[in-house]
Amino acid sequence: MELFVTGYGAISCIGNNVQEILHALKSEKTGIQKGQQPHSERYLVGEVLLSNEELMRKFELKTIGSRTGILGAIAAKEAFQGHKRDASIRTAVISGTSVGGMDVSEKEYRNHIDNSPQNMRNYAHHSSGNSSEQIAEELGITGFINTISTACSSAANAIMMGARMIQQGKIDRAIVGGTDGLSAFTINGFKSLMIFDEEWCRPFDESRKGLNLGEGAGFIVLESKESMQKSGSVSIARLRGWSNASDAYHQTASSPEGHGATLSMKEALSVAGMQASEIDYINAHGTATPNNDLSESQAIINVFGKNIPPFSSTKAYTGHTLAASGGIEAVIAILAIQNGCLFPNLNHRNVIEETKLEPIKSLKEGAEINAVLSNSFGFGGNNSTIIISK
Amino acid sequence: MIFVQALSSISHQNSFQKDSIWKELTALEANSVCESPDYKQYIPANALRRLSPVLRMALAAAQDCQSKVEGEFDAISVGTALGCLKDTEKFLTTFLTTSADTLSPTAFIQSTHNTIGGQISLALGNHAYNMTHTQNSVSFEVALIDALLCAKDGKSNVLVGAADEAIDFLEGLRGEIIHSDRQFTSGASFFVLGPQEKSVKVIDCDIEFGPYSVHQSIDQFLIKNNVSINQIDLVLFAENVEILAKKSLNYQDYTGLHYSSSAFAFHIGHDFLKSTNSSKVLIVNNQSDKRLGLTLIEKHEA
Repeated sequence: MELFVTGYGAISCIGNNVQEILHALKSEKTGIQKGQQPHSERYLVGEVLLSNEELMRKFELKTIGSRTGILGAIAAKEAFQGHKRDASIRTAVISGTSVGGMDVSEKEYRNHIDNSPQNMRNYAHHSSGNSSEQIAEELGITGFINTISTACSSAANAIMMGARMIQQGKIDRAIVGGTDGLSAFTINGFKSLMIFDEEWCRPFDESRKGLNLGEGAGFIVLESKESMQKSGSVSIARLRGWSNASDAYHQTASSPEGHGATLSMKEALSVAGMQASEIDYINAHGTATPNNDLSESQAIINVFGKNIPPFSSTKAYTGHTLAASGGIEAVIAILAIQNGCLFPNLNHRNVIEETKLEPIKSLKEGAEINAVLSNSFGFGGNNSTIIISK
Repeated sequence: MIFVQALSSISHQNSFQKDSIWKELTALEANSVCESPDYKQYIPANALRRLSPVLRMALAAAQDCQSKVEGEFDAISVGTALGCLKDTEKFLTTFLTTSADTLSPTAFIQSTHNTIGGQISLALGNHAYNMTHTQNSVSFEVALIDALLCAKDGKSNVLVGAADEAIDFLEGLRGEIIHSDRQFTSGASFFVLGPQEKSVKVIDCDIEFGPYSVHQSIDQFLIKNNVSINQIDLVLFAENVEILAKKSLNYQDYTGLHYSSSAFAFHIGHDFLKSTNSSKVLIVNNQSDKRLGLTLIEKHEA
């Protein structure tokens, strides 16, 4: 069964909507800067520079909840705008998040530690499931709501879950992607792992030291042909392939030979019924940690051999938006196809010694891009790949 | 058809490695404890020290399932409502009370929801599809729906289950956002689904959100599956509901309160079908008035 993308929406430090993000990508300007929050001011991060209240007002949101839910609702609303609401089109919301409403809980929990009065009701926003229910409520969808939480591959897995449910006839249409608001919990967690770069991150560069965190959300709308006939939606791209595989190497590190990532890319090509040579652009996971980029480079070599298509990581623009990254990058993949643009891997100077793969170094326009492969890899060796085509 | 190939639960009942728990079930008494097996048989001692209860329970139950089936799992689907609460609370406390420069990453690493599925894949050296679903009180059901998709896609050894752990902090939420007077409990239940004929088959699972009418939803679910309510031998529900079934039980009397306890209800239903001369069990997860899970399982007559 063919699966069509009929809408897309995103918010990140490089733009509050898809058009702003496209403009930033073409301008080759990063959104990563010194953090503006008490918990982020020591670091370079990709923050959305509006408070929750400002976001709710600007995007006319009604549903109160976590920052994760707010960012998700903004991107999902953009993706779903103009879509026909019809009870006969069974519509799902499937969203990925790593920490859900931690941004709310951690503020309350500080009161707990200080023995100050707590508003226990604020913990109602804590669960990851609630961030998706917040998004669904904003959209007025009640049939099927599902949250995937597999760390940094969550959004890619949510896209996959939606695709499989439509294929098997459980639903007709799905708003799929991911969201993560930047929390002190996450910043301190990554700090404890010692994988921050104190400078701007440099994916696939020999001198890379680590990642810059980011926040945001990205969603696409998937529909079957039958659903499109009922909804009157117009296809902007097709979701062709997907896969998830386990590296089973280490809880946080990737295997040096990129075993799980290789499996995931190969299986996604197989689901799509495509040859590696048909991929015109790879939007890599490329977090800029020494471990990920080497492992992913090795996996790309395993799958594509000597004919490696143009590739880049766009995380030097957005920061690593964790569970949202697969959603934001799915939107970027569609933008690449629609605009014939190969977006650069900012801050790259020298290739990694072991693998010598050179990413796209500056914007290329007028490219014929039919198919994009997008990788998302998470903690626990959770490796996912999706393939989007014209 | 999709059959239950193997199952394993760690709970506040004496359920681990029991041939059938149906006749052994006892309603929980005050301050009941989780009946932990000897984890050293499943987890190396040096790793065991670092692992929270939810990880221990899930790892032991998943490995117990693996030992009961031939061949590796070709998909793993885990549900958890609140994830690794103990490590989450530990890391919160640590970073809120100490300097960011001296934090140990262990609690952070083990706080993410997919540590459960990730640790299972690591322990088994399993490279298959590995998914973690979290959707409040229907977390087990979404994991089960994914597992059924996997099985219908041709996967033959699908591990599905759910795990959650209680922490003391939850008591403070009672009366504020948690309106149940049941004891907070922990539990992990895992199942292997596949095409090989066994005594119990999984017919269907659906979830629904928003204010729902439980009778209307059950009617529609049963009509979709060509079953009438008087054919149901046992209804397992979370909150009392008047249903004209032959027999009904409140499964929370046996599980206590955790949001993926319907996974244990699935285990109860399975063993009921296996040990009695009955044919159909409906699990009505109406633990929340905003989320409903419905699961139908049947005895398979060879």
